[in-house]
Amino acid sequence: MDKQLCVLPCNGLDKSLGVIARVVALNLIEKKPDINLICPVLLNAGDEKNESNLRESRTIVIDGCMTRCATKLIEERNQKIYKRIFIPDMSKKLKIKPGTSLKLSENAKKLAEMIANEFLEELEVSEKEDIVIVAKTERMDFFDITVDKFYFQVPKEGYFFNENDCWIKPDVNRALIGITDYLQNQSSDIMFVELPEIGQEIEQFDDVGSFESVKTVLQLISPGSGKIVAVNKALEGHPEWMNQDCYQQGWFAELELKDFEEDKELLMDGPEYFQYMKEKILKEKELLDKEKED
Amino acid sequence: MSKSYDAEKETFMGIPRKQIPWWPTIDYEKCDFCMECDKFCPHNVYAKNYDEKQQLIVKNPYNCVVFCRACAKTCAPDALSFPDKRETTNLIKKLRSENK
Repeated sequence: MDKQLCVLPCNGLDKSLGVIARVVALNLIEKKPDINLICPVLLNAGDEKNESNLRESRTIVIDGCMTRCATKLIEERNQKIYKRIFIPDMSKKLKIKPGTSLKLSENAKKLAEMIANEFLEELEVSEKEDIVIVAKTERMDFFDITVDKFYFQVPKEGYFFNENDCWIKPDVNRALIGITDYLQNQSSDIMFVELPEIGQEIEQFDDVGSFESVKTVLQLISPGSGKIVAVNKALEGHPEWMNQDCYQQGWFAELELKDFEEDKELLMDGPEYFQYMKEKILKEKELLDKEKED
Repeated sequence: MSKSYDAEKETFMGIPRKQIPWWPTIDYEKCDFCMECDKFCPHNVYAKNYDEKQQLIVKNPYNCVVFCRACAKTCAPDALSFPDKRETTNLIKKLRSENK
């Protein structure tokens, strides 16, 4: 993992958050000069030096708002995101308001510097962590349905589901959690995942992380309660596994279960979820067909 | 598809959606009307109120997906809050047992 790092800020000048993104990037290269700065404007204009920097490096993107301009620049090039800084999240985490002025207040400047410091600390820790790719693959039986060009599968047994289209696969006092085929189809090609922290205690229906595609940002809402004991770090390098194999290689996190018997009261088993998902898909298709007719 | 969503007929975990009070609350002291949440939400929960001063409103509360809080992530001034999840879970359990 010693490939060059580069940083691509959104640099948006329509709101203070974009200006903060730019200042965070400047702070990063000042504090860690071996990070290359990519200019989003030059990149968008097709500058070859910026393009090749991007191709040959691990990219940190900084998005100021949900328009996610920096992320989109990466996605348009089919490149991967190594790490992402999302200014609203960091603002909440550090409890500093970004303000709305394009001319940054002292508070906003302080926020930018703190974000850079916090990020570099996290980066140092994550660079030291070994990424263990555990292939949890076994033969499984599925229910399936094809609607137009979309193919949906639901495991027949061993998994339980919530109505937020996430699964849990219990194994004695531990369980893996992830997203269903319906949710991965809804999101299209997943480009980036935000995993929970190990050790975090979660309740049933807490959001435990998010994943992003070109189309949208979605959350994984946990079907179970307990403590996060492992996360699928491999997804950071291979977020597409959530699309390709959402029930096995695309697992998201592992829980030490608190009370699965209680959690189960509000979950569906394979046949029940398949019926629920099928009805939902067919209803959506009917509505879409109707909209097309109108 | 969200345009045609019919909250009257929708259920969540077997309970009529209208019996589950889950939708965002806007703190107008904090909201700076950037409308990021409205742009983000695919379920048309929010709208811009043009009647008085330009304000963000929760126009279709029952379109909100129970337990989803994704829009709050878009809100830099942290102006969006949701009901207590445990209370909502307990309410759903209670309503389900009454319906058995």
